[in-house]
Amino acid sequence: MADTSTNESSTEGDGEIKVTIGSAADCGLDRDSASPKQAQLPLRQVPQPIVNGGSKVWDITERFTQASQALKIGQLVKDEYFTLFESIGALEIMDPKMDSGFLQPGETLEENYDALRTLLPEEVLGIMDQLLCYEMAWHQGYPLSQTLFTSVYIDRLLWPEPRSLEEAQFYRGNPGRVTDALQDVLRAYCLGIIKSCDFVIGKITSRDYFEEEDFCTHTYNRSLFSKVPHDFVLHELEIAEEILATDVDDIDETVKAAINCRLEFRRNFLVALSPDYSINFLDKYWPPVSALLPAIESSHELARVVPDAFSTKIQRRLTSTVPPRPIVELEFKDAFAKLKQLCEDCAEATKYTFLDPAPEEYQSFLWAFASRKVQPSAYARSYLAGFVFAGDNEIFEGLLRDDLAAMVFPEDQVLDPINWTIDAPRNPLFPKDKRLQMASIIDDFTNRAVQNYVELWTALCQNRCRMRRMLCHSLLAFDQLQSDASILDDELQALTSDLQQYPLTTWVYHLKLRQIEWIIQLGFEQDIYLPDELAGMYLFLAKVAETRNRLLSTLLEFWEQRQKRLEKGKKVDVEKAAKVQEGKAYIEALLAEAVGTEELSAALSSLYTLLSYLHLLPQPPRPFSSPELRYDLRTKPFALLQPVEIIPFDTLTTHIHPFGPHAAPTSPSESIVKHLQQATTYQPIDASVKRAKDAFAKLKKLGPKAASAEGVKEQWSGRVQGRLFSCVAAGVAVAGLRGMAGELVSTADAEGKLRVEGVAEGEGEGKRYHEWWIVPKVVKL
Amino acid sequence: MSNNNAPTDIADLQYVQYQGSKEATYLPAIRQLISKDLSEPYSIYVYRYFLYQWGELCYMALDSTSLIGVVVCKLEHHRSGTFRGYIAMLAVQETHRGKGIATKLVSMAIDAMTARDADEIVLETEVTNTASLKLYERLGFLRSKRLHRYYLNGNTAFRLILYLKPGTATKGAQQLGDSGEMLPQQQHLEPGYGPSVTPV
Ligand SMILES: CC(C)(COP(=O)(O)OP(=O)(O)OC[C@H]1O[C@@H](n2cnc3c(N)ncnc32)[C@H](O)[C@@H]1OP(=O)(O)O)[C@@H](O)C(=O)NCCC(=O)NCCS
Repeated sequence: MADTSTNESSTEGDGEIKVTIGSAADCGLDRDSASPKQAQLPLRQVPQPIVNGGSKVWDITERFTQASQALKIGQLVKDEYFTLFESIGALEIMDPKMDSGFLQPGETLEENYDALRTLLPEEVLGIMDQLLCYEMAWHQGYPLSQTLFTSVYIDRLLWPEPRSLEEAQFYRGNPGRVTDALQDVLRAYCLGIIKSCDFVIGKITSRDYFEEEDFCTHTYNRSLFSKVPHDFVLHELEIAEEILATDVDDIDETVKAAINCRLEFRRNFLVALSPDYSINFLDKYWPPVSALLPAIESSHELARVVPDAFSTKIQRRLTSTVPPRPIVELEFKDAFAKLKQLCEDCAEATKYTFLDPAPEEYQSFLWAFASRKVQPSAYARSYLAGFVFAGDNEIFEGLLRDDLAAMVFPEDQVLDPINWTIDAPRNPLFPKDKRLQMASIIDDFTNRAVQNYVELWTALCQNRCRMRRMLCHSLLAFDQLQSDASILDDELQALTSDLQQYPLTTWVYHLKLRQIEWIIQLGFEQDIYLPDELAGMYLFLAKVAETRNRLLSTLLEFWEQRQKRLEKGKKVDVEKAAKVQEGKAYIEALLAEAVGTEELSAALSSLYTLLSYLHLLPQPPRPFSSPELRYDLRTKPFALLQPVEIIPFDTLTTHIHPFGPHAAPTSPSESIVKHLQQATTYQPIDASVKRAKDAFAKLKKLGPKAASAEGVKEQWSGRVQGRLFSCVAAGVAVAGLRGMAGELVSTADAEGKLRVEGVAEGEGEGKRYHEWWIVPKVVKL
Repeated sequence: MSNNNAPTDIADLQYVQYQGSKEATYLPAIRQLISKDLSEPYSIYVYRYFLYQWGELCYMALDSTSLIGVVVCKLEHHRSGTFRGYIAMLAVQETHRGKGIATKLVSMAIDAMTARDADEIVLETEVTNTASLKLYERLGFLRSKRLHRYYLNGNTAFRLILYLKPGTATKGAQQLGDSGEMLPQQQHLEPGYGPSVTPV
C-alpha cells in the first residue's frame, strides 16, 4: 500500500484521533512524536475504537483501500501546500528501510540486553569509552538517536522519565533488583554524560547556530536532567569514586585507576561545561580536564568492548516515524582526538575574556579562532560566542565607538566623553551646544549601525562555509549603512571643520571593502572558483584592495597631519600626539595588508592569464554557458553595491583575455608566444610580487601590537608569514614560466613541457602557505 | 523494465522523456537505479512529487530491455524572483558510466528547461563527488557556495548554478536568497528525511 498523509483521514470524528496506518512523517522534527503505540503494526482488524491514553484509534484500512480505487496509479493528490520537504518525510509501510515497525523474520522489536548483568571491570571501561566515542560523534553533528541514545544504560536512566535522580536507575521496571558497585560506578558516569549533554545543548541553543548543519539538538522527548542541579550529579560522581576506592577490591589496580580517572575526568568536564562559571577563574576550568586526558588515552587498551550494550532498536521508542538508522561509529582514536581538540579550543576561547578590551583585538581573536587548523566544533564556537555576546547591545555600541576612535577619530573632539555630559538648553529656541550635537549624531549613528555591527561579529563566529554566506548578507547591510552615514557626516561637517573627511562613511566603507575581500578570499579557501576563474577573481580582489588602499592612504595622511599639529601644541596636546602616533600604527598595518593584497592579487591575475593561453589550466567547454552569464553569477553578491565595485564586463575581458578567449585566441599563436618571451611581459608582474612582499614584510615588522592582534600573536605571525611565502612562491612560478617561454614555438607546445600544480580541486588542501592564496607551481616536465 | 548490468553498445541507447501513463513500466526501475547509491531510500512519494508535476523534465536512457540512466528535475518560481530549475536526481548504471550518458541526459534536461523559459538551474552535489562536479562544470555550471554538513551522512556539498538568461542575478527583490532554502538532501548520497539547512 502506498503511504498516506493522515491529515485528511484523521479529521473524521472528534478530538485526538490517531489512525493506525502510516502516519505523516514528522521528518524527525518531533512534532507529535514518539507514540510507542507504533508497536501495534502490522495492521489489525479493530471493529471498535481502541482507547489508549485518551486517544481513540480506528482502523480505516478498508475504507482507505476503497477510496484509493478512485485514483489512477501515479496520480498525486496534493494541495499547493504539500512541499518537497513533506514528500521526503513520507513513509512506505512494510518497507524495511522506511517502516519503523517492520521486523525481519525472527527479529525482535526490542533489544534484549540485560542492564543488570554483572560486568567485568574491563567491560565497564569498555562501555565508558564507547560512550565517549558516541558523545564525540554527537559533538560532530550526528543525532543522539544514532550515538549516545543507542546505549541501553542511558536509555534505562532516561525512560520513563525519572522524577528524581534517585529514580534514574538501571533496574527501572524491575523493582527489588539491586545493583553492584561497578554498576553504580557506571551509572554515575552515565549521569555525568547525560548532564554534560544537557549543558552542551543549552550552550549551543543559546547562540546562533544551524540545526543539523552545525549540530543536532533533538532529545526525542527525553529530558537530560535539565532541572537537576549539576552539583547533584557531581556528588554522584564523587560517591562513585569512593565506592570504587572502598567497595571494589578484587580488581586489577591499573584497571581501577583507569576507571577512576574517567570519573574524575567526567567531573571536571561537567564543571567546565557548566553555564555557571566565575569570570575570574575562567582560565582554571579546562586545564584540569586536559590534564586527565593522557591517562584516559593510555589506559584505553585495557577496555573490553560490550557491543550488545548498544542497539539501534532503541530508536523505535525515540521516534515513531523513522526506522532505525545505523549507529555512527567513531573509533576511539578519532573520538579522543576530537575530545582533546574540544578541550584545547575551549581553553583557547577563554582567552577572549582576558584580551585588551579593544574591538580590533577581539576581531583578530575571532579570525584566529575560526582559522584554527581543525575547525572548532559547534560547542567550542558557541562557548566563545557566549563570551563575545555576553553583554547587551550597549556593549557593542561602546565597541563601535572605540572602533570609530581607532579608525577615524584620533584623539578627536567628536568622541570626547565631555560631549555626553552636556545638558540640552532649557529653552528649545536656544541653539544646542555643538558638543551635545556631536554626541547625538554619534548616538544616531551607533543606534543605526549597532545591529549590523553585531551581525558582522556573529558571522565571524560561524562555521567557515556559513561565515562566507553570512558575510554576503552583512555586506548588503553595510552598503545601506554607508548611504545613511553620509548624511550624518554632513551634519558633523557643519559643526566642525577639524575632521577627517566623511569619517563615518570612511569607517563603514572600509569595513564594507574588507568584507568584499573576505568573501572573495574565503571563496579561494573553499574551492569555490575553478582554475580558469582565478585570473578574473584575483583581478577583482586586486581592484577592491586598491580601493581600500586609497581610502587608507587618505586616512593615514589625516592621522599624520593631526599628529603634527598636536605635537606643536600645549603639553596636553603633545601627550595626545603620542597617542595618535601609537594609534596610527594600526592604520599603517591595515594599509600594508591592503597593499600586499592588491599587489599579490594583481600578480596572480596576470600569471593565471598567461598560463591560460598555454592551455595549462583546465578549460571546460561549457556549451550551455557564456562568459557574460558566468560573470553575472560571480558578481551577484556585489552587483548592487554603491559605489560600484565590480569591474565592468568589458574591462575585465580586456584584462584577462588580452588575446581573445583563452581556448580560442583571436591573436595568432606566434604573437602570444612572442609576448611570453619578452622581458617586459614579466617586469610588471615581478614588480607587483616585490611590492606585495615589501608590504607584507612591513606588516610583519609593524608586528601584532600595531595590528591589534596581541592576543593571538603566534597565529597572526604565522598568517603573515604565510602571505610572505605565497609571494615567494608566486615569484618562483613567474620565473618558472619565463624560463620555459624561450623554448616555445607555439602556445600548443607548452602542454608537453610544463605542468601547473596546486590549482586543481583538492590539490591545494593543506598545502597552501595561506588558504587565501592559490599560488600555482609551474613544473618543468 | 529492469536494471540489467550487461554492457550494451551506447549507440543503441534511446533517450526518452518520461511519461506519466507508463509509471508502472518506468518508476520501479528509476527507483531502483537511484536508490543504489543511497543508504536509505526515498519513498515513492518523492519520485511522484517530481514525476507527476514535472514528468516532462525527466529523461531516461534505455537500451532494449532496461533503464541505463535517468535525470529528474523540477522547475518553479523561486522566492528570489527567478524561475528556477532544479536537478534533483541523476544516476547512470555503474557498468555504463564514463561514456557520456549522464552528460547527454543533463543536456536534454537543460534544453527542456531553457525551452520552458527557466532563468537558472541549480543543484547540490557532494564536494567529493568528482564525477558529478566534472560533469556539471563541463556543461557550464559554477559553484556558488559550500554547504557545511549538508547531507545526512555529514558530508559537505557545493551548490552549483547555471544561469540561462541575462539579468537573472538582479531579478526579484531578494538578491541573496539562499539561506532558508528548503532544498532536499539529495538522492545520490544520503537522502534526508528533511532538509539539513534550517531557515534563519
Ligand atoms: C555522476 C554520474 C551520473 C556520471 O555519469 P556518467 O554517465 O558516467 O557521466 P559522463 O560519462 O557523462 O561523464 C561526465 C564527466 O565526468 C567524468 N567522470 C565520470 N566518472 C568519473 C569518475 N569516477 N572520476 C572522475 N571523473 C569522472 C567523465 O570522464 C566526464 O568528464 P571528461 O569527459 O572530462 O572525462 C555517475 O557517476 C553516477 O551515476 N554516479 C552515482 C550517482 C551520482 O553521484 N549522481 C550525481 C548527481 S548530482
